[in-house]
Amino acid sequence: MKIIRYLLVATVVLASACSSVGVKPWQRDLLAREDMQPSGSSIDAAIDDHLYFSKEASSGGRSFAGGGCGCN
Amino acid sequence: MKRRATRGGAGATQAVDSPGAPVAPRLAHSDVRLRLIAASCALLGAGGARAQSGDAVAPLTPSIATPAPSDEWQIDSALAYYHEDGRIRAIEPVVDVAKNLANGQVIGVNLTFDSLSGSSPNGALPSRKAQTFASPSGTSLTDPKKTYTTAPGQLPVDPNYSDDRLAAGASWQIPITRVTQTTLGGKLSYEHDFFSVSGNAAIAQDFNDKNTTLNFGLNEEYDSIRPIGGTPIAGSDYSLFEKNGGDKTKNGISGLLGVTQVMTRNWLSIFNLAADRFTGYLNDPYKILSIVDGAGDTSGYQYESRPDHRTRKSAYLENRVGWDRASTALSLRYMSDDWHIHSETAQLQGRLWFSDQDKYVEPTLRWYKQTAAYFYTPFIPAGEQGSTGYASSDSRLGEFHALTVGLKYGEKLAGQHPGINGEFSARIEYYQQISDGHLDAPGSLQGLDLVPKLKAVLVQIGWRF
Repeated sequence: MKIIRYLLVATVVLASACSSVGVKPWQRDLLAREDMQPSGSSIDAAIDDHLYFSKEASSGGRSFAGGGCGCN
Repeated sequence: MKRRATRGGAGATQAVDSPGAPVAPRLAHSDVRLRLIAASCALLGAGGARAQSGDAVAPLTPSIATPAPSDEWQIDSALAYYHEDGRIRAIEPVVDVAKNLANGQVIGVNLTFDSLSGSSPNGALPSRKAQTFASPSGTSLTDPKKTYTTAPGQLPVDPNYSDDRLAAGASWQIPITRVTQTTLGGKLSYEHDFFSVSGNAAIAQDFNDKNTTLNFGLNEEYDSIRPIGGTPIAGSDYSLFEKNGGDKTKNGISGLLGVTQVMTRNWLSIFNLAADRFTGYLNDPYKILSIVDGAGDTSGYQYESRPDHRTRKSAYLENRVGWDRASTALSLRYMSDDWHIHSETAQLQGRLWFSDQDKYVEPTLRWYKQTAAYFYTPFIPAGEQGSTGYASSDSRLGEFHALTVGLKYGEKLAGQHPGINGEFSARIEYYQQISDGHLDAPGSLQGLDLVPKLKAVLVQIGWRF
């Protein structure tokens, strides 16, 4: 129950904080730029993720952790 | 000024300038026309800090740019060459195609082929004496056609490692309302000893004038493993070649809950919490451990044995900040699992546009550190074999840190179809992994490099059109 209470408080605080940040629609020029897209190039990220998945014990976080590869 | 479709995006704003164009100064000087175009496009668009890319394998990657409906398929392709010092080589062509549909839907298909060859560590420890091992299909240590010998002092590797992998993925983004979007995706992956199929579903909900997006997704993965030469009995004596045959399977379910927040005009923040649980056959059927006596002599080997379930949890934070001719992205990840592995990852990436603004360079620096699994051991002391429970000497489960440095160059291509953002790119990465484990080498093993560094180079060229 304590954890749920903390999560509720955190959600309310986050929602309050988020409502005071952000931009208007006409201010999204920089955010729409390619290099401002989350996670950058999807192909680069996929190749890097595959490399790290095959060499390290951790994966995912940015997206799902599954590998679909018998290499690890 | 040309329109740009960001592949796989599903957000609110319509990009109205080519990447790197000096939009901000013009806005600062009250370019009313540009403001009106941007505002109109944004109001007509579908979402703000919205989840999803067209990458079929990364369905929860958020994107904030709107795809422009186009009759053309956008094709993103790459050819990567990966080379480890003295070990594996791999060639990996990748093709990623996506189409933005008029009704706001985005479909994407991804094809990947891997061709690997070279030498793969088998898990045994170096020794002062030559060591002979059987190839995966071998059933004895005396058949010269199915054995290989490692020279004294060298890390035992299977010199005939070869594998090909073909993977295909697809994703389908479907706007439900102006502020809600779902994505369905799936992936197939085939190797001669491994087959994987996975499916995922995600939903993204915009809030706060589309500056805040909550993402939630689930992924289910099913893997089938058919080891060459049969499946060894976990923990059994390697010299007996006890294989119980048959396919092995494992299942995994992953969940991810994330929030993407537009902080300011040039600052985007992402925070994800993720968890996954895999159950089933989690061993590496080709990995063994050395049994070493007090004098440092190897008296035998046994197959590794891992638990049949694993639960991982991670937290991921990414911040992107952009300026007129540059941007940076800093991502941090913390992961822990019930195998007692804890890892921290930090990656810093920058992009600097050249003065003519159709070329850029992108340096990358990544640092990674992990602790060892509770059953990781470089070797088994003689007399303790069979009594250790789970045991693996797979260096990927050991304690180490790794560093990646990389540099990418990109150049925009002219003469593309309207709405398509063509680009040629080339990048190179250097990866180094260094063991942090403290190994008390017995007897004659002292002085040997028992856990050599892993050094690798990745070279990649990309073409988007």
